[in-house]
Amino acid sequence: MLAMGLMTVGLLVQLIRVQFGPYAPVFAAREQVGSSRLERVIPARGLIFDRDGRLLATNATSYVLEVETRQLTSASRKDIPDVLSKVLLLPLDDLEEQLNRDWVAQGQFRIRLTRTDKAGEPLPINVDKYVAQVLNEFLADPYAPDLSGLSLVPNPKRIYPNGELAGHVLGFVNQENEGFFGVEGYYDEWLSGKPITISRPMIPPEARAQPDPPGGVNLVLTLDMDIQQMVERELAAAIESSGSESGEIIVMDPRNGEILALAAWPTLDPNEYEPWLLDEDGRDPIITPAVGGMFEPGSTFKVITMASALDAGVVEPDTEFIDTGEIEVGGNTIRNWNGEAWGPQTMLSCMKNSLNVCLAWVASEKLGAPMLYRYLRAFGLGSLTGVDLSGEITGQLRTPRHPDWTESDLGTNSFGQGLSLTPMQLMAAVGAVANGGVMVQPHIVRQVVGPNGAYSPKTIVLGRPISAETARTVTEMLVSSMESEAVYASLENYRLAGKTGTAQVPGEFGYDPKWTIASFIGWGPVDDPQFLVLVRLDKPEISPWGSVVAAPVFQKVVRRLVVFLEIPPDVVAG
Amino acid sequence: MPQAFKQAPWRLQILSTGRTALWIVGLVILGGVYLAVNAKVAEAGRELLMLQQQHELLIRTNGELSAAYAELISPEIMMERAAYLGFRPALPDEINYLIVDGFEISDEFEAPRPLTSGESRPGMLSPSYTETLGEWLSRFAIGGDR
Repeated sequence: MLAMGLMTVGLLVQLIRVQFGPYAPVFAAREQVGSSRLERVIPARGLIFDRDGRLLATNATSYVLEVETRQLTSASRKDIPDVLSKVLLLPLDDLEEQLNRDWVAQGQFRIRLTRTDKAGEPLPINVDKYVAQVLNEFLADPYAPDLSGLSLVPNPKRIYPNGELAGHVLGFVNQENEGFFGVEGYYDEWLSGKPITISRPMIPPEARAQPDPPGGVNLVLTLDMDIQQMVERELAAAIESSGSESGEIIVMDPRNGEILALAAWPTLDPNEYEPWLLDEDGRDPIITPAVGGMFEPGSTFKVITMASALDAGVVEPDTEFIDTGEIEVGGNTIRNWNGEAWGPQTMLSCMKNSLNVCLAWVASEKLGAPMLYRYLRAFGLGSLTGVDLSGEITGQLRTPRHPDWTESDLGTNSFGQGLSLTPMQLMAAVGAVANGGVMVQPHIVRQVVGPNGAYSPKTIVLGRPISAETARTVTEMLVSSMESEAVYASLENYRLAGKTGTAQVPGEFGYDPKWTIASFIGWGPVDDPQFLVLVRLDKPEISPWGSVVAAPVFQKVVRRLVVFLEIPPDVVAG
Repeated sequence: MPQAFKQAPWRLQILSTGRTALWIVGLVILGGVYLAVNAKVAEAGRELLMLQQQHELLIRTNGELSAAYAELISPEIMMERAAYLGFRPALPDEINYLIVDGFEISDEFEAPRPLTSGESRPGMLSPSYTETLGEWLSRFAIGGDR
């Protein structure tokens, strides 16, 4: 009888403890989910391959450090910060502060340990499998420091086995498995799949079929890693030899818009993306400058102006022009790149000698503002190209409808000044000239493979800004250019077309008197164009001119490109 | 019979005790079977959980191995190895082309399908792990159990 009474009292005490004791919230939470545990199942992020099947992005595991606050002992409160600060080289006082807070009183029974990044923001501490192995050994060893309460929670981690190679194209994935910039950002929703929450019976652990979360798709890019690597090497060498601050090389197939290589300097290793996010000047980082950065194209833009004038029928290649060395448009005096008068010229020689005065005359006296800007719009300027890379911007093109537009813009715009394009816009526009007047949308994904099969995006035609005949004429004019101002870009036995560019760098108080952007855009073989290459070097030290700095880089790239693409030399007469 | 019970009332007690014991034994047997089945299901559930964890671990390990392999065959490493073996990139004038009309290389790479299908797989587990005792009995009663 006494025993029964004691048992009843004990039961009552236990019931009161469960209802009102320190573990009451735990039991309440347990009651809410029943005997099951709610689990968020995150599907594996889709893989990314290059066009030949080489792996560019895959998934591995990192471990997040969590602490079960009720399992902490007085020894482990001291030992955990001590061990972690030594193994991970983290500040001891920060870890001690996290461990010694009274989390239980705040109703926190499981916390995630954090470190502070350079911007002062807390980030979860992630450790790789080797560190995790060491910590697990400590946890299992009774003679090791007391790490009671510490647990290592597996967390998916994105890895890029090629490091910096194509880093600007790929973008990156943060610790929350969200993609940013490049392909990772653009296709984030497709790559990440759809996480689901399942109820997993735990008491007892029931055998039950659980649904798989819809997985992320796998992507095959148009990039060719051999070409990408070659281009990145050439860019790095050019940056070093020219003393440039930054640069870019893009290789595209003008027939279908497939981007074969896209390199930018400084390089970005998506495995270590954090430094890129901390711009010292507080500006937003430009991870993919081909679509997110804009520049004044300078003389490479003359290709567009001349193509527009020829297509409109206002000039012919042999139309004559007397170059007096300067022309006034809208009250602004425009001079040639060397400040000299070149005398009698034709449109062909204007392009060969890259004369600003001549192009300003074509734009202002022959085309006129309405027609020029109509053509520029048709070439896609001022609009997004729609390339499948995250962070694309429209650039800056002021048309006569813009309140800040003045007539002087008409003159400067004609030779690529006073307007800003993204490199991808320039590629798409000049690609139309290379591709017989048909402008195609640049794209980076060649194939999307989902659970139900593969899908290959088709070539998208953005428009036909000029006729095939005009495209042929401009191409021939630029083939001639390769024999004069762009001679350093030419390659023996291959007929190439191209144009140099030397643009001033706009600043807060006008154009910088010292620095330029040297560029070259060209394509080939002209009879069956298979590549379009843009080389851009910012603020070169050895020479300001595109013909001296960028054109030789184009030649080096094309010399290797024709081998990779297995393009035989053009038949040379004789 | 009533006379017998009147003369020896303990017989009645034995009878009721026997009936009660029979019920208790029956319940114990039923409880035992229920417990055994549930224990088996729980054990299978635990095993399944461990297998799922192992499956996830293997997928992750596979990803890491693929990454390590990709790193080994990255263009940078291959270039270094080629240079070490004495090779260098070919130049355009060192290549002889043989053009065969109509010949096209069609070895376009197709990526593997993602690992998860996004569909539940109800047929994955045998019903013996999921159905209740009541379901089993009713299936047995209508002769569905073979």
